[in-house]
Amino acid sequence: MADISKKSAKILVFSTEKISDPAIDMAGLLKLHYPPTVYTITIPCSSGIKPSWIMYAYEKGFDGVFIAADGSDCVFGESCTEKTGALVGKTHILMQEKQIEPARLRMAAMCSVCSESFVKQIKSFNEYLLKSSNTEK
Amino acid sequence: MDKRLGVYICHCGGNISDYVDVEKVREAIENDGCVLMSKTTQFACSDSNQKEMVLDIQEQNLSGIVVASCSPKLHLNTFRQVSERADLNKYNYVHANIREQASWAHSDDKKGATEKTILLVKAAIAKARLAESLTPNKIMAINAVAVIGGGVAGLKAAISLSDKNTQVVLIEREPFIGGRVGQWGEMFTTNQTGNELISSLYAQLVTRKNVQIYTNSEVVSYSGSIGDFSLKIETTPRYISQDCDAKELQKAMDVCPVVVPDPFTFGITNRKAIYGFAASQYPKQATIDDAACTHCGACEKVSKNIDLSLQKEMVELHVGSVLMATGFDPYTPENGEFGYAENESVITLPQFKKLIDNSESKLIYKGKEIKNIAYIYCVGSRQGDEGNSYCSRYCCTSTIHSAIIAKKKFKNIHNFHFNRGIRTYGKQEVLYAESLKLGDLYLQATDDSPAEVYSENGRTWVKVNDILTESKEMQVEVDLVVLVTGMVPRSDKKVSTLFKLPKGRDRFLNEIHMKLRPVETAIDGITIAGTCQSPKNVAESVNSSLSAATKAFSYISKGELETEPIVVEIDAVKCTWCNECSTACPFDAITQGLDGDRKIAVVNTTVCKGCGMCTPVCPTDAIDLVTFSSKEIMNMIDALTEQI
Amino acid sequence: MSSTKNSVSYDALVVGAGIAGGEAALNLAVNGFKVLLVEKDLSVGGNMIKLSKVFPTLDCSACITTPKVSEISRHPNITIFTGSEASNIRRVADNHFVANITRQPRYVRVEDCTACQLCEKACPVSVRDQYQFGLIGRKAAYIPFSIASPKAAAIDIENCTLCGACERACPTNCIDFTQEVEHLEMQFKTVILATGFEMFDANRIPRYGFGKYKNVLTSLQMEREIAPTRPFNTILRPSDGKVPDKIAYVLCVGSRDASVGNPICSQICCMYSIKQSQLLMGALPMADVTIYYINIRAFGKGFEDFYQQAKGMGVNFVKGKVGSISETENGNLMLRYEDINEGIVKEEEHDMVILSVGVLPNEGTTSLFSEEQLMLDPYRFVHQTDGLANPSHTSIDGVFVAGTATGPMDIPDAILSAGSASSEAISYLLK
Repeated sequence: MADISKKSAKILVFSTEKISDPAIDMAGLLKLHYPPTVYTITIPCSSGIKPSWIMYAYEKGFDGVFIAADGSDCVFGESCTEKTGALVGKTHILMQEKQIEPARLRMAAMCSVCSESFVKQIKSFNEYLLKSSNTEK
Repeated sequence: MDKRLGVYICHCGGNISDYVDVEKVREAIENDGCVLMSKTTQFACSDSNQKEMVLDIQEQNLSGIVVASCSPKLHLNTFRQVSERADLNKYNYVHANIREQASWAHSDDKKGATEKTILLVKAAIAKARLAESLTPNKIMAINAVAVIGGGVAGLKAAISLSDKNTQVVLIEREPFIGGRVGQWGEMFTTNQTGNELISSLYAQLVTRKNVQIYTNSEVVSYSGSIGDFSLKIETTPRYISQDCDAKELQKAMDVCPVVVPDPFTFGITNRKAIYGFAASQYPKQATIDDAACTHCGACEKVSKNIDLSLQKEMVELHVGSVLMATGFDPYTPENGEFGYAENESVITLPQFKKLIDNSESKLIYKGKEIKNIAYIYCVGSRQGDEGNSYCSRYCCTSTIHSAIIAKKKFKNIHNFHFNRGIRTYGKQEVLYAESLKLGDLYLQATDDSPAEVYSENGRTWVKVNDILTESKEMQVEVDLVVLVTGMVPRSDKKVSTLFKLPKGRDRFLNEIHMKLRPVETAIDGITIAGTCQSPKNVAESVNSSLSAATKAFSYISKGELETEPIVVEIDAVKCTWCNECSTACPFDAITQGLDGDRKIAVVNTTVCKGCGMCTPVCPTDAIDLVTFSSKEIMNMIDALTEQI
Repeated sequence: MSSTKNSVSYDALVVGAGIAGGEAALNLAVNGFKVLLVEKDLSVGGNMIKLSKVFPTLDCSACITTPKVSEISRHPNITIFTGSEASNIRRVADNHFVANITRQPRYVRVEDCTACQLCEKACPVSVRDQYQFGLIGRKAAYIPFSIASPKAAAIDIENCTLCGACERACPTNCIDFTQEVEHLEMQFKTVILATGFEMFDANRIPRYGFGKYKNVLTSLQMEREIAPTRPFNTILRPSDGKVPDKIAYVLCVGSRDASVGNPICSQICCMYSIKQSQLLMGALPMADVTIYYINIRAFGKGFEDFYQQAKGMGVNFVKGKVGSISETENGNLMLRYEDINEGIVKEEEHDMVILSVGVLPNEGTTSLFSEEQLMLDPYRFVHQTDGLANPSHTSIDGVFVAGTATGPMDIPDAILSAGSASSEAISYLLK
């Protein structure tokens, strides 16, 4: 679990090549700062994330996983939202089995220019993770 | 055999190295398992470094490369080409984004940025270790382009593509082509009228064998992708055959009981529900306004060429690329915004332009002769965070040009320009100079106290604290107030939504990169042209349209295209054919097949788009997306959680 | 002097290898046409490659230009002649132009040069570096600039003393003083003019003191001071090397000014000044930056937001015409200006002044042609014969124009204009 002395939680972001990644890039371009312990793995579509990857991230020590979902902007079709929702549901069950707080997985739809929203979400997620890890101690 | 990797870490001339200790990053990874060589470089993308990379790959027999630099949106292809030039399959190159997602995002925390960069580069190395050579799929590219929108941008693109021996399908939502330009009178710089310009473009287009024009038509669905888009086009009937001439139409118009404001004149005049044959309205075939028509049948009785029983028609077409030229809407002011819709002396710039065109010796509006005119600039533009923050670009020049025309065409016109800083950029400046010479008055309000329109007893005043005269309060009584309304994105977003085209912060359609790829969109094979991308004047729209046409032509001119070999793979041993993946696939790329006598899932790799939607649903974890396999992702997670 | 006469033919001649010419050449090349790209400078990339960052995204200019330049340099359908000029272009028939191409000797065999810079070290002659706008010096044997393409040495023969030091230092023996001017006659089917622009010479307005007061710089010089490949690696004022903390920008220098013969607006100066002011605020957080303007022309996509962002960062915008500049004893500068908001003449002291110089036509463009005359507009830019419907058409059939050769424009517009000219050229070639 997160170290009490940590300033920022370790967060894995799954972002998508065409939609949310440009938003995260633009956050950098605009120098909208967020904690440097946020790491991004880019994939084509948020509905292609396997629950086992998320579980593996917790196992290896990530405090939180954030899915920057394509939402209705997905280039692969409308079913993306529903399917991303389904895999989050599936993961929550796996998390429950391992007694991992379900709030350590967060999902939000990001458009290609949602830089400010990304930074806001990540900051609040970070605060949440820090707070919950501190109360656990 | 393990990979032999070369790793390049870019300074980006300080953009990265000012915030990230790139040498420390290099030291942190130089001993990673298969890293044979690692370097830092001033500009990884520079020609000299590219040459050096080619030499390194060849001399050191590298089997994979990692470049840690800016966003892959900029240079993925640059480095893929480097590796191909060194005869290394381009899929052995992996990119790490350490500028947008490290040095810039964490410019406030150099230590944090450096540590993050180390892990990002390690993750890229982890991915590169597993990278394999892949062969792109080749697909046929149909030598045809659909141009959506028949305004000046769409018409020019259609002509240009037709010149290049490409089949063109021009699809216009309205019954007539010509768009906004068709509605204008004289235009700066050539003083050509919109009618002249559109007539000449239509004449060039209509005779061509390789151009099909669909008016009153909309794209209602699409499938496929670059090289072969399948479009369904729905055409609303005109209800009037081509045999109906102007005389016959007049008879029908006389009996038509429905009168509506004419959108062609921005509502300053009315028309019947049946109409046509106006200047700059092409094709020269009358039509019935489906939304306004009550189907009373009066027109059918006077003309044998009218048939109200006609139904909508649907055709399906295949094209290799789609060019969007859907244009803009003029901003519609809120009720009461500078007196709009409340004071009848207040009109918009497009309405004023039509009023000038429609007036002969005297400028008359609502029965009153107009002498003193106030122009209020930036209505609907530069509204700050609350509204449209952008400048609409064309309006300063267009207004001054119209004001000059009014002054020259009619007697005793006095123009008062209530502006927020005149933006007649470039050669348009001479128009501003001419207007000043003609005695037009310019009054500039401060940003925090804009001009005000008020009326009393049927008289109208405009009031302003003019900064050009030491912030004295000035007020002018005028006969007409022209609101200089800017450009806004089309309110009808059906087509852009259908194609899922990303929009920018200004809500116009967004290009991939303003300078590197200004007419391309996130959807391969779909380009954008003209004012659907941002406000532009006519010449700028034409330049953007011809650029988009060139791009579209280069997609299809070779007859075939390479597509990414990023598709899913089925592990035949693990697969038990439960049908889950096939249900999840939005493209019907997975079907049931046989492995010996065992039923398994089979992927059609030319149909698979590589989204990976099928991968999480597999109960036996038998599907992986190439280059995004579980092994690759988990190894990256391993790398990101290493201790440094 | 001997001259060789070759006769080679290409589909298109593109004159000028700045961003517009390069883009146009690339558009033709990817569609299978053979292009000769002629550039009088020693490197392709034009003005853009020398910029720091570009508005309104603050992308680093080199990051955008260099890959494009390398794509152009490497394309098998594009032949590049740097240090070369076209002349005597004439249309002999439809789809048939003949041009004389003059290649100046570089005195270096580019294919053998490794850009090791040993010749630079060995050369005893120092002159002002035109690529750094005279801010620093360079040698007579030199690599034009760090991201030049081709990245190879050249000998500035005007200033060379023929001492032979560079020849002795060169490890690959690529220096060759026997090279001579080459005169070629070549055939083309179409011509694209991308001859670009010249900057207004600030010396022409003596009351601003450029050339007389050391701390009055032009915007291009400042561009170099803030570029990633900058000469001093920091921002300083030339008179005493002090880091400036009160900087002024004077807009419309040589633009919108009939008295210097240039009544039009240069279209880019407002935005590049705003860009520089943002970069300065970033580099020197304690500095005051004031922009003296007449109208701010933030008209393009994302420009108005960029202008508001500069205001938000604390850049001071003063609506005022600067009448004159004088120097104080410590090298500071006194600006006398008319404050338009208050209607009075004021004075303000700054320790560095940047003149935002305007865009002028490249006067060399007309002399490219013989026989048929290339028409110019009243401001001496290439005349667009059908400015609305066919912006890249010129007075000569089969000759198209791209980028700032037609008038001032920013980079996105220049690239779109190049796309437009290449579209017309392709259509012309397929006719």
